[in-house]
Amino acid sequence: MTKLSRRQFCMTGLALGGALSLVGGLPAGAQQLKGGTLRVAVLSELANYDPQQLSTVNFHVIKNLYDSLIEYTPEGKPEPSLATAWTISPDKTSVSLTLRDGVTFHSGTPFKADSVLATLQKGADPKRGKNVFPTMSIVKDWSAPDDRTVVINFKAPVPERQILDLLQFLLPIDPKGIDMVETVPAGTGPYTLVSRAVGQGLRLKANPKYWRPNQPVMQDLVFTVFTEDAAATAALESGAVDIVYGGSSRSAVRLKNGGYQVFAGPGPLVQVFRINSTRGPFRNKSFRQAFNHLMDRASILRVGYAGMGQEVALPWAPASPAFDAAYTKTYGYDIEKAKKLIAASGLSADEMKGWKLLVNGSDEASVSISQIVQGSLQKAGIPVELDMRQGAEYVTALLGGDFAATFGAVGNVQKFPSRVATNSIYRTSGNPVLKDPHPHPDYVAAIAKVDAATGSAAEVKASYDNLNKVMVEEAFGVPTNSYDVGLIVASDKIGGITLDIDNLLVARTIGFK
Amino acid sequence: MTGLAAAGRLLRRLLARRGAALSLAFLTVVGLAALFAGLMPLDPLRQNIAESLKPPSPDAWFGTDELGRDILARVIYGARTSLVTAFGAVVIAALIGVPVGLVAGFYGDWRDSILMRCIDVLLALPNILFAMALIAVLGRSQGAALVAVGVAGIPGFARIARAQVMALRQLDFVMAVRGFGGGPAYIMFRTILPNALSPLVVQAIVLASIAILLEAALAFLGVGVPPPTPSWGEMLRTGKSYLYEAPSYAVLPGLVLTLTILSFDTIGRALTAIIDRDETDGVRETAGGGR
Repeated sequence: MTKLSRRQFCMTGLALGGALSLVGGLPAGAQQLKGGTLRVAVLSELANYDPQQLSTVNFHVIKNLYDSLIEYTPEGKPEPSLATAWTISPDKTSVSLTLRDGVTFHSGTPFKADSVLATLQKGADPKRGKNVFPTMSIVKDWSAPDDRTVVINFKAPVPERQILDLLQFLLPIDPKGIDMVETVPAGTGPYTLVSRAVGQGLRLKANPKYWRPNQPVMQDLVFTVFTEDAAATAALESGAVDIVYGGSSRSAVRLKNGGYQVFAGPGPLVQVFRINSTRGPFRNKSFRQAFNHLMDRASILRVGYAGMGQEVALPWAPASPAFDAAYTKTYGYDIEKAKKLIAASGLSADEMKGWKLLVNGSDEASVSISQIVQGSLQKAGIPVELDMRQGAEYVTALLGGDFAATFGAVGNVQKFPSRVATNSIYRTSGNPVLKDPHPHPDYVAAIAKVDAATGSAAEVKASYDNLNKVMVEEAFGVPTNSYDVGLIVASDKIGGITLDIDNLLVARTIGFK
Repeated sequence: MTGLAAAGRLLRRLLARRGAALSLAFLTVVGLAALFAGLMPLDPLRQNIAESLKPPSPDAWFGTDELGRDILARVIYGARTSLVTAFGAVVIAALIGVPVGLVAGFYGDWRDSILMRCIDVLLALPNILFAMALIAVLGRSQGAALVAVGVAGIPGFARIARAQVMALRQLDFVMAVRGFGGGPAYIMFRTILPNALSPLVVQAIVLASIAILLEAALAFLGVGVPPPTPSWGEMLRTGKSYLYEAPSYAVLPGLVLTLTILSFDTIGRALTAIIDRDETDGVRETAGGGR
């Protein structure tokens, strides 16, 4: 046996230590991760398993039960998923997709073109299409030349980014289960449903036939629903769960300071002060424009979201091609400017009163930021009361347009700009708040112009600039700040976190270090 | 003995008990602070977000909340919300519950059966659930909270009033008034009620503490007085989210709430003890006189 001298022993130790620290410094995904049961605390009970009814309440399950046709990297670069290739025609009026071979749905049905056609059919149905329906407005028809190819034709030339957004938004559903998809998941995703206890949580297990090699890492995925953010974070701190998904920014900041890993995805939401411009004083444009300057955005961001996010005066995340920081400065908080616009409205003091600010009483951030606006309005000489409503009562009022003004977040703010019209307040037709015909034709025209801008970069930019200008002038939605949705706070033993472009939870790459 | 003299004697006997005296002193301070809050240089609504979530300091004795508002000012103005709700609830409960109990106990026939079954139905409903249902119908406001808590307090008054009437209605002094031609209303309200007041006063004090707790619970559940009106329950609800950053935000209003309820309860218990002792002494005197 070779004997090591003290010097050799020390050098070997240093070398080993250096190597270990190098491995420790590697990205989590590059490390060898171990499987097991991943326990995730979530703050919301999912609505259903329909991937076309995407909302924050089911963000934690969709990408674990389904796959998209294509995916975006966190930087917004498209990459293959169930579609291995896509070819956009030179005139940008169609896209041809090549579908992945060897994929099966959870039921065992092979993934073929018929499932994509069924998914497109559902998305184009005004009753069944849900969130996907507005995105399908650009689609003329579709066909399947063979089992592995799908061609989607558009009504007019469509910007490339919008086509990619559509493909990323389409999550193929098993044709056999498409009618029952709200209650029984029917995807190709890395996990399959084992059981669900409504109001308590659900359990998923790894899909043994999953097509991505070596994924999912974890064998079991257990979600527990917590009604209180504090309870969820306490569960993480006590070791009862491994991850808190969708917790508050305030807790994330605290836990990060306590040594936990915090991951914020590239797909934030933008908080928007929604104004029902068909009611009372809000029919007056100048009165509405005053609200651009009544939003104390810095305070809203600080109090409501622990400073995590960015002040914005337009409904875009910084990653959006239409993002323009100059608007935040031009339309910043300024009571005097607001007062001038209020005076210019010609409304009497009585005409400006008599409305209430609808507040989601179940959301502490909304309660706080609504009080900030209430304070600003008081300074501007407009006393208003808060109309506090809880849970479903609030959602019914929000989606039914039964309010004068309220805060409500909007999504798809990092994608193609006209995708903002998937949010109820920004819909160009069938708007549940503003109704038909749309009371802001300039806005509808601006969205159409963005959709039609397929030419030079200058033309595209001009269409974005026009949309931005129209949005602040019409002021039926006054954005205040972006904030992180789907925040992931994980214990230090967790690795392999994949950030999704929409901040959905992607559990397939997560494992134990 | 005049009513004033009797009240003075009762107060002296109450103050002789240390717990009751301390409770009374605390409630007096809270009551006076709530009554004269407008004269103090405190604004419960003034926001100063740059100074949010500050710990207690000479500038803000109880610290500041997430909007930089003075928590002490909100606790003092919140006392108004709580005490007004308590007072209003007691008035509503007494105005309805006492006549119902008097009628039911006095007649004791089918009227008793009907009224008491109605009271039983009301009693069967959990207070908080009933109050929430009522607020869902009436809308979220201080008035709605007050009515909800008041209605929830009716059964207590009705049952005590009924029990008192049943105990007193066959006594000589009541029979005498009846013999002199006193009508049912006169006997119930002018003869029996004054002699049944003591337990009803205790019930009023107990209900006041329950009302404060119920109002705080409703606010904590998000269906109480809407913000920015200060409310102890609302402060607890919001403050619990900031327990790590600003413990005083939830703890101090919680402490004031606890002490207020405890004080009402202590006074209620002391009064019960005094009344019980008087009754025992009365029985002894009667027994002694018969020897």
